[in-house]
Amino acid sequence: MTSPMQANTANTSPVIATEGLRKHFGTVEVLKGIDFSARDGEVISILGASGSGKSTFLRCLNLLEMPSAGRLHIFGEEVGLRAGKDRLRIANRRQVDRLRTQVAMVFQNFCLWSHMTVLENLMEAPVHVQGRSRAEIREEAEAMLARVGLTARRDAYPAQLSGGQQQRAAIARALVMKPRVLLFDEPTSALDPELVGEVLKVMRDLADEGRTMLIVTHEMAFARDVSSRILFLDQGQIGAEGTPQQLFGGGHNPRFDQFVSRFNQG
Amino acid sequence: MTPGTFELLGFGPQGWGFLLLKAAGTTIAAAICGFFLGSLFGLLGAALKLSSLLAPRMIGQFYTTIFRGVPEILIVYLLFFGGSVAVTQVMNLGGFPGFYSLPVFVIGVIAIGLVSGAYQTEAYRSAFLRLNRGQIEAGAACGMPRHLLLRRIIAPQTLRFALPALGNIWQSVLKETSLLSVIGLTELLRQAGTAAGSTRQPLLFYGIAAILFLIIGRMTGAALGGLERHLAKPWSR
Amino acid sequence: MDWPFLIDVARQLLSGVPLTLQLAGSGLLAGGVLAVLVASAAASGIAPLRWIALAHVEVFRGTPLLVQIFLIYYGLGQIPELRDSFLWPFLREPYWCAILALALNTSAYTAEIIRGALQAVPEGEVEAARAAGMSGVLLRRRITWPIALRHGIALYGSEVILMVKATSLASVITVAEVTNISYRLISSTYRALEVFVVAGAIYLALTFLVSLAVALVERRLNAHHAHRRT
Repeated sequence: MTSPMQANTANTSPVIATEGLRKHFGTVEVLKGIDFSARDGEVISILGASGSGKSTFLRCLNLLEMPSAGRLHIFGEEVGLRAGKDRLRIANRRQVDRLRTQVAMVFQNFCLWSHMTVLENLMEAPVHVQGRSRAEIREEAEAMLARVGLTARRDAYPAQLSGGQQQRAAIARALVMKPRVLLFDEPTSALDPELVGEVLKVMRDLADEGRTMLIVTHEMAFARDVSSRILFLDQGQIGAEGTPQQLFGGGHNPRFDQFVSRFNQG
Repeated sequence: MTPGTFELLGFGPQGWGFLLLKAAGTTIAAAICGFFLGSLFGLLGAALKLSSLLAPRMIGQFYTTIFRGVPEILIVYLLFFGGSVAVTQVMNLGGFPGFYSLPVFVIGVIAIGLVSGAYQTEAYRSAFLRLNRGQIEAGAACGMPRHLLLRRIIAPQTLRFALPALGNIWQSVLKETSLLSVIGLTELLRQAGTAAGSTRQPLLFYGIAAILFLIIGRMTGAALGGLERHLAKPWSR
Repeated sequence: MDWPFLIDVARQLLSGVPLTLQLAGSGLLAGGVLAVLVASAAASGIAPLRWIALAHVEVFRGTPLLVQIFLIYYGLGQIPELRDSFLWPFLREPYWCAILALALNTSAYTAEIIRGALQAVPEGEVEAARAAGMSGVLLRRRITWPIALRHGIALYGSEVILMVKATSLASVITVAEVTNISYRLISSTYRALEVFVVAGAIYLALTFLVSLAVALVERRLNAHHAHRRT
């Protein structure tokens, strides 16, 4: 098991960084200026009450949600954004599409393409976006399916899988892109309780491999055990930040302690 | 000796069999061309109606209101008479005096295309609205450019969701081709009418036309049903 | 814009509106009665009745209305028994042939709407009524039919609109309704667009009025879904 402190934060430029990231929906300000950076090999859990803006923040990192203001750097490269009516706009789609192949995302509702089999879901982006050869990618996809325990279901359609199986397939779909960062948007929130474990196990293995992961989650125990760093969002701002030991030890930040205690009750 | 039913419907010298089959071919050809032209109009109409801008939405709404609200036969007349007037004016202006008209098959296909396009607009629009936004986002998150999203994710799923409605529209299109008899296209109904007139057997020949329409509708319906079941497979448990 | 011409066209076309409405109204009335009979036959336990009902629906939905009109107008005269019967004075009139064809045609579609609406009645609500001691006609009159009516009304509204449009086919057998007059005007003046605009406006106005009426009926029927205003 990785010790949280093992994550090496020295000498590497940030994988993803934001400066003054803001987002409002109409008159509601969801993100109030977030300065954040993630380095190679870090596993960062983003926690917060519902409405704290944590999912919005994650979705801004690959521009599925357009921020209203601020700057975004991915792999040291500034993402071109230009001013729009009530939010920023993508200046260069090509750049964003290129960066997105390196920043994979796992969604709360799995979002597997329902007209394709599991194997086709895995091969879709590598073949059509990255232009890799079918034969090569097929082997990798099969290996990836074996890894998440879905070899037997590779020709099934998403509708024929359980939620846990769908989410494992979605993780495999993210991994075959060979991304440098993995974003997880509440990956277990839509699952029946008995299916959560199988997905968390896969994620834990990925963390142990030293992958860079940003995880929005409500799984407190998982966040405490697996993360190298916790980012606590509170009403659109960074409420607290630190290692799990620092934060979960208590006394570091009263709002965070309150959040955790309320969570443990509920 | 008047010929019997079998001679009349056969392929011999007194038989109308060959002409009826040929006319059935014209009916099918007009229906297929009209339907696919309608798909073009339908996709365009759906794009207009789904636009975030007001002007395109209003144009789309105008199109579907007119072509779904006005009787099809009036649209056929408009294109038949209006089309030849327009073509004649253009030719005369270009220095070619005289009277011109478009082939009735072309006019008929355009009329059916415009009408079925208005219905197909609704089919594609509601199918598009049923798409799962998350799956499109998942494509974007993989770095798919817009054209790839459209081709690999949006188009196949929209087609799948629109197919049942498209099947109904196809059946309407098939029957609508009979209206083209009024502008002189020798499709099934007009050919049956000619045969009925010259043999004084309207019951027989209009009956045969009805049966042929039923058969064509049933067969194409079964084929579309098969396609529908095939494309629905991913969504069945 | 040639206003005098347009006004003249409008005046002539409007004179065809009563006939258009008569065709639609009579067709819907007779077709509605027939549809109830067909739907009952389709749901009956007597197999031959069921077959006849299914064939009726299949034939009149599967063939073009224009073919049906020609079969009735030109074909029926070929049957000597009919020619000699008391019906012949009616059946040789284009007007009555058009109404008969429209009625038969709409009855097939309406029977399907009735069938679908009855199927959409939730099993649970019927069971609840049975549990309350209802059965037979009482159950149907108080529970099944009112619920089915609410399900079917929107579809029947589109059927009414389709019927208004379908009356235009009577023009082909010389019934002087709106489309017949339009055709004669177009083919004599060759001013297709102007005549089309006026005729189209008349049909759109008619279908608009129908959809308005249907919406009103729907609102009344579905009052239980409306939010209570205080």
